[in-house]
Amino acid sequence: MSTRGAQAGLAGFPGEPFAVELQAVTKRFGEVIAVDSVDLAVDENRFFALLGPSGCGKTTTLRMIGGFEEPSEGTIRLYGEDVTGRKPYARPVNTVFQSYALFPHLSIFENVAFGLRRKKVGSADVNRRVSETLELVQLTGMEKRRPGQLSGGQQQRIALARALINHPRVLLLDEPLGALDLKLRKEMQIELKRIQHEVGITFIHVTHDQEEAMTMADAIAVMDGGHIERLGTPHEIYEDPQSSFVASFLGSSNLVDATVVDADRGELAVGEHRVHVVPERIPAGTSQVKIGVRPEKLSVVRAGDPTAINTLGGRVVDVSFIGVSTQYLVDTVLGTSMAAVQQNTGGGGPTPGEQVTLSWRPEHTFVVR
Amino acid sequence: MTAVVTSQSEAAAAAERRRRRVPYLLLLPGGLWLILFYILPMLQLAGTSLKSGSFAEGYRFSWALSNYGAGFTEFSAQFTRSILYAGIATVITFVIAYPLAYFIAFRGGRYKNLLLVLVIMPFLFPFLLRTLAWKIILADDGFVVDALKTVGLVSNNGRLLATGTAVVAGIAYNFLPFMTLPLYVSLEKIDPAMVEAASDLYANPRTAFRKVTFPLSMPGVVAGTLLTLIPAAGDYVNAQLLGTPQQSMIGNVIQSRFLLVLDYPVAAALSFTLMLAILAMIIPYIRFTGTEDLVA
Repeated sequence: MSTRGAQAGLAGFPGEPFAVELQAVTKRFGEVIAVDSVDLAVDENRFFALLGPSGCGKTTTLRMIGGFEEPSEGTIRLYGEDVTGRKPYARPVNTVFQSYALFPHLSIFENVAFGLRRKKVGSADVNRRVSETLELVQLTGMEKRRPGQLSGGQQQRIALARALINHPRVLLLDEPLGALDLKLRKEMQIELKRIQHEVGITFIHVTHDQEEAMTMADAIAVMDGGHIERLGTPHEIYEDPQSSFVASFLGSSNLVDATVVDADRGELAVGEHRVHVVPERIPAGTSQVKIGVRPEKLSVVRAGDPTAINTLGGRVVDVSFIGVSTQYLVDTVLGTSMAAVQQNTGGGGPTPGEQVTLSWRPEHTFVVR
Repeated sequence: MTAVVTSQSEAAAAAERRRRRVPYLLLLPGGLWLILFYILPMLQLAGTSLKSGSFAEGYRFSWALSNYGAGFTEFSAQFTRSILYAGIATVITFVIAYPLAYFIAFRGGRYKNLLLVLVIMPFLFPFLLRTLAWKIILADDGFVVDALKTVGLVSNNGRLLATGTAVVAGIAYNFLPFMTLPLYVSLEKIDPAMVEAASDLYANPRTAFRKVTFPLSMPGVVAGTLLTLIPAAGDYVNAQLLGTPQQSMIGNVIQSRFLLVLDYPVAAALSFTLMLAILAMIIPYIRFTGTEDLVA
């Protein structure tokens, strides 16, 4: 399964244009290449996340879709229509800014109504739509206030309302939850998902928070260094990250060097040991790879399980009790340490210094270059 | 036990009292300065404005409100001219300074500080010298008059020096930094995302300026116009150096009453009248522009 394959998997209905389509889009700022020949297609009515560390090009990509930056090369299409070179005010998209960018000199009502006023919507319609939208974001009754009189969470909802009231075909969200505290952020994650379901608009959400992306998005593009490293559903990306960057950016994983022995049978050599993986996951044309296993997929047992396919011996060096689970740090016979997380189902587990066997299943193993 | 609690709460109360005193202590130097150099001279001036008599015989306090009426009727032409010149100069300064401040704030990039220094640069030269330089620029045989004659904006035997135009130009030039700096500060403070948000919400650049950038720069507009209008209305250097007695402003009258005619009561009454006239103009202006709201 390659990135291309995953991309094809995101396409909804044959013949229908994508909501957002980027073709070989590159953005240079002087010498710096912020976005490097990115191809991306997002289906209608998706909650799509652009995820990556700061400086990976995710915000620049979003700003190019919104029209705030022009691509140096490439084409941007919205519902099949080429919008490259069009100004933001001539695009059927709206943005929720990281800083919210609410107009401090206007009332909440006029902030929300701003887009409708520009489109010369009649005042009866404006009144109706503003109250509908404020109801959608659960802030009815705030019409007369100024943005400065609202809390951060409320300002965030107003920024959302101000964008949604225009019924954009695509809504762009630039780290909209970044300024909120943890509890509020969790609430807004659920809230945003509810609103997206209710309005049925494509959301493109930029974030550096992998948990946020996993919780909210139907599909994620993980970006690094101006490239899309991995594209797929949260489940696909987590279980088969395909690159060590994605594997370490999303959750934690144990990565070990391995050599391909028999690609057809999915057999690899890790030091003296033989391990098995799903054959399709071995990238073609390479023999030196890394295999990875998520900590929660490793099981820690005192004696070797004779039926296990992949096993590795080691010595427990650290045990941390977290409550719902226990985390073990095991020095393996390979000389590397591995983390394993075990559900607490009662009974005493191994203690530091004890010899244990780590085992895992082939389908829980991913292979990266 | 009780004793301990009491002494603790006493200590806390003492700390609280000290804490409350701090702001007042901080206000003290500034407050004293204001009382000594602003309030007291004002009261003294107010007293002077109500005196009667003559310089030779000495002025005595006598509730001589007639000084106000006499001063205003005698010099109403200079009052009107002051307001008119200062008003026109303020408008001209605003029209020049706004694009300048806008450019520095939004397009200045790494040259921002250099450009600001250039704006303030004229302050390095004395006010009087700068105004004298304008005398040379606007001289009858100077290149400005020559150029304007060729274009036909000045008639063949016309001149610029010793006209209202010269006085207004001098005021506008001298007060340009006072207008530019507050405008720059308020424009620079505007989050570029505000303008992007307006653009995102279907406002073309002109509408975005009209509906977002300009309203957000209002504190600077008000501060800049007041900083120009108020001193310009009381200015006498420009009228004296670039104009003739036909262009004399109320500042010139006050100056000559104080220093030449030595008619202190009328001079003081004129000063107060000017102050009240300016207050009467700017209070509705601030109300109308509604900047209290923005500052909060």
